[in-house]
Amino acid sequence: MSGDVQAARAGRTRSHALRVRRMLSVLALLAATAACGAGASTDTGSPTAAPADGPKVLRILAGSEIKDLEPLLKRAEDAAGVRVVLSYAGTLDGADRVASGGADGKYDATWFSSNRYLSLIDGATARLSTQTKIMVSPVLLGLKASKARELGWDGKPVTWNDIAAAASARKFTFGMTSPAASNSGFSALVGVTAALSDAGEAVDKPQIEAATPKLKQFFSAQTLTAGSSGWLADAYAKQGTVDGLVNYESVLLGLNASGRLAEPLTLIYPGDGVVTADYPLTLLSSATPDKKELYGKLAAWLRGPEVQREIMTTTYRRPIVPEVRPDRRFGSASLVELPFPNRRSAADELIGVYLNQVRRPSRTLFVLDTSGSMEGDRIDALKQALTALSGADTSVSGSFSRFRDRETVTMIPFNSAPGTPQTFTLPERDPGPTLQRIRSYGEALEARGGTAIFDSLRAGYEQARSSAGSGDFTSIVLMTDGDNTDGSSYEDFASYYRSLPVKFRTFVVIFGDSNVNEMGKIAQLTGGATFDARSGALAAAFKEIRGYQ
Amino acid sequence: MKRWIGVGLALLLGGAVVVALVVGNRGGGTKPRELTLVRGVIGSEKKPFFDDQRVRAVFAGHGLRVEVDTAGSRQIASSVDLKKYGFAFPSSAPAAEKIKRDQGAGRTFAPFSSPMAIATFKPIVDVLAKAGVVRDSGQGYQVLDMRKYLDLVAKGTRWDKLPGNTAYPARKRVLLTTTDVRTSNSAAMYLSIAGYVANGDDVVTSTAQGAKVAQAVAPLFLDQGYSETSTEAPFEDYLSLGMGKTPMLMVYEAQYASRLFAGDGSIRPDMRLLYPSPTVLSKHTLVPLSPQGAEVGRLLQEDPELGRLAALYGFRTASAKAFDDLVAKVKAPLPASVIDVVEPPDYDRLEGMITAIDRLYRSGAAPSSTP
Repeated sequence: MSGDVQAARAGRTRSHALRVRRMLSVLALLAATAACGAGASTDTGSPTAAPADGPKVLRILAGSEIKDLEPLLKRAEDAAGVRVVLSYAGTLDGADRVASGGADGKYDATWFSSNRYLSLIDGATARLSTQTKIMVSPVLLGLKASKARELGWDGKPVTWNDIAAAASARKFTFGMTSPAASNSGFSALVGVTAALSDAGEAVDKPQIEAATPKLKQFFSAQTLTAGSSGWLADAYAKQGTVDGLVNYESVLLGLNASGRLAEPLTLIYPGDGVVTADYPLTLLSSATPDKKELYGKLAAWLRGPEVQREIMTTTYRRPIVPEVRPDRRFGSASLVELPFPNRRSAADELIGVYLNQVRRPSRTLFVLDTSGSMEGDRIDALKQALTALSGADTSVSGSFSRFRDRETVTMIPFNSAPGTPQTFTLPERDPGPTLQRIRSYGEALEARGGTAIFDSLRAGYEQARSSAGSGDFTSIVLMTDGDNTDGSSYEDFASYYRSLPVKFRTFVVIFGDSNVNEMGKIAQLTGGATFDARSGALAAAFKEIRGYQ
Repeated sequence: MKRWIGVGLALLLGGAVVVALVVGNRGGGTKPRELTLVRGVIGSEKKPFFDDQRVRAVFAGHGLRVEVDTAGSRQIASSVDLKKYGFAFPSSAPAAEKIKRDQGAGRTFAPFSSPMAIATFKPIVDVLAKAGVVRDSGQGYQVLDMRKYLDLVAKGTRWDKLPGNTAYPARKRVLLTTTDVRTSNSAAMYLSIAGYVANGDDVVTSTAQGAKVAQAVAPLFLDQGYSETSTEAPFEDYLSLGMGKTPMLMVYEAQYASRLFAGDGSIRPDMRLLYPSPTVLSKHTLVPLSPQGAEVGRLLQEDPELGRLAALYGFRTASAKAFDDLVAKVKAPLPASVIDVVEPPDYDRLEGMITAIDRLYRSGAAPSSTP
């Protein structure tokens, strides 16, 4: 057991820049040492691998939001007789798998920050058995203390309308996760829309339409995006130009307590309401009676007053059992809960409107390895990944990962030298023909020659610099399957990067025989992240990166 | 240790407890008594009762070990495979009536009931009283006038538009929170109440009435947005998160009463229980599917100790005494009896209305606030 814990810890340290990995990676808390092998890193999973099972093991498909409960859950074996094995997935990706039955038999339970979206998918509720809420955390705006004071929001009632007005006047900027990838972003989007639509009931198409102009104003101030709440908080802590964050109260309080912020965040509790995550630990209908019993034990243990108090003190989430009252840190504001859509069509419409009309457009550069070693399955996987992003992936998460209306996509294939950049600009509506052109472009890629990673990455940055529009989200994706064989070195690139007046993040896909160390260094240098596609599908890694673009 | 903290979770202890009891009962070296296993499928709100070790002890005293699975009442009546069960124990009379008919059961037992009620807060009661929606029943408790409430909803009234409302100026619609009417019995009971009023103060008895009424009352459910599938979840929100999240919640009186009787402090001083006028009784009705199942029904109805325990869980039983004693003991603000109770429609009519509302969910039609 201790060996396992160590392996996990070593993995985590090493993964500082690699924090965002394949979301499907299996993190074995207590049980899976044997399966992983000594010294294995934590990203051993593939989308199809089932986590290790055992008589006392409860296999939980979870949102990465609950990662901070790992230390607590480790104790569940001694305290409750349940060995918790967690596997992580993004909210919509997880919803996809549960609704399609893909989680049945591989997992016994799920634990996402909310089941609301999942419940809207046809047939999904039949796959869920008992749901037990464990804790709650509202999604709020946290703003640098000085900025909050400047805006006069310090200790004064503020509404989403006030916030939208200030955002529209560019009086502050903020970061938020992608609503298509993460529950905090989705909850915020629902809340802001409900508040701005002025309707008072659950939002539906007409309300979304009515609120769209105001939503555009509000989100014009969003200058940082991410695929996960944890990464967003990290990215925020490392910089100084963004003024605030839309995130769970727990993440905001946690950041304040972490000592990592130059200036603490003032939490703004909008008077017109919030959307609250309630973290339902949910038994799958497919679970066997033994697992059902383990589930009951774990749920009971987690809801005991002592554990509830510990969750509150260590993770800043509010307790769900009435016996334990939230302490002073949570303030005394009565939080009005805004209605959540009760139809899939409304939820999807909202995400679609956000991605394609409301948010600032993205400019995305793909620096793609087409060297000789990519020949065969690898180049096919790359083509498939590009096809999926061009609208061929019709799953819930896939349909929100496609190249978006108003997005500028540049492809820079490379081998012994960078190839000619090819740029595609998606129009404001009717993206079909452009998507088709991207697909054809991808289909025509051929594998040959050497691997000039750093010359090509540099070409990507040059291209980004020459074309970046102000206000766009610009990022670079680097995908390579091997070592650098031609041209400049990592060190050359690093000194080039440091000299740049405007920085862009690089999201690195580790594939085939990638040099993991060097790839990690690129991600760390540029404030990006690595996505490991060595054991999973390349398309899944590309899809996950979309949350950060 | 507060006795009730673990109530909802007592299931864990179940297995261990039975063993202990059997061993404990064996007395002077005689062999432990062999218990007959009876399986039941029940509405989830009764699970804590069946998992209570004292309840299990009474059954064990009669040679029975009762194990239960939970399912929504509508599910029990329509989709649950009843072959492996000795009894079905849904939370409403209409569902029980359907099961009885389908299974050809000879009789049913209705050992306990609970009126539908509204868990809310004092500031909300005051605001609604000012708006004329809440009034005194003259029987020592306050009621929510359903007719006036439906009028308020029909106008799309928002909390911040209610005259003189400084206590809860939320910019959201005045709507009772309920569970999902497609899965949960408490919401179906609410539908019965609203349907009665919308049908001109009469029980819905025809398909044509049902179709019209469903259309009229659908916004009560659709306009709420997302609603939960089980009654315990929103009640928990009510208790823990308070007025901001759940200003008014449709509950079984038993949920609120059991917390009061437990004296665990979860019912705080500003919390109030109203009764809709009219209301309906959730009549927990056991349909025996085997002779042992019938014995469970008989014991629930006749055994005084089981009646006393059921009252602890907030249920009203055949003999009012158990409930009344508890009310007196903790000085609970609960009426001895609730008047203005109407009957729910029969199963087919109720099912027809739920199906019609389900169609509106699916059609994606924008909720209309004008019934």
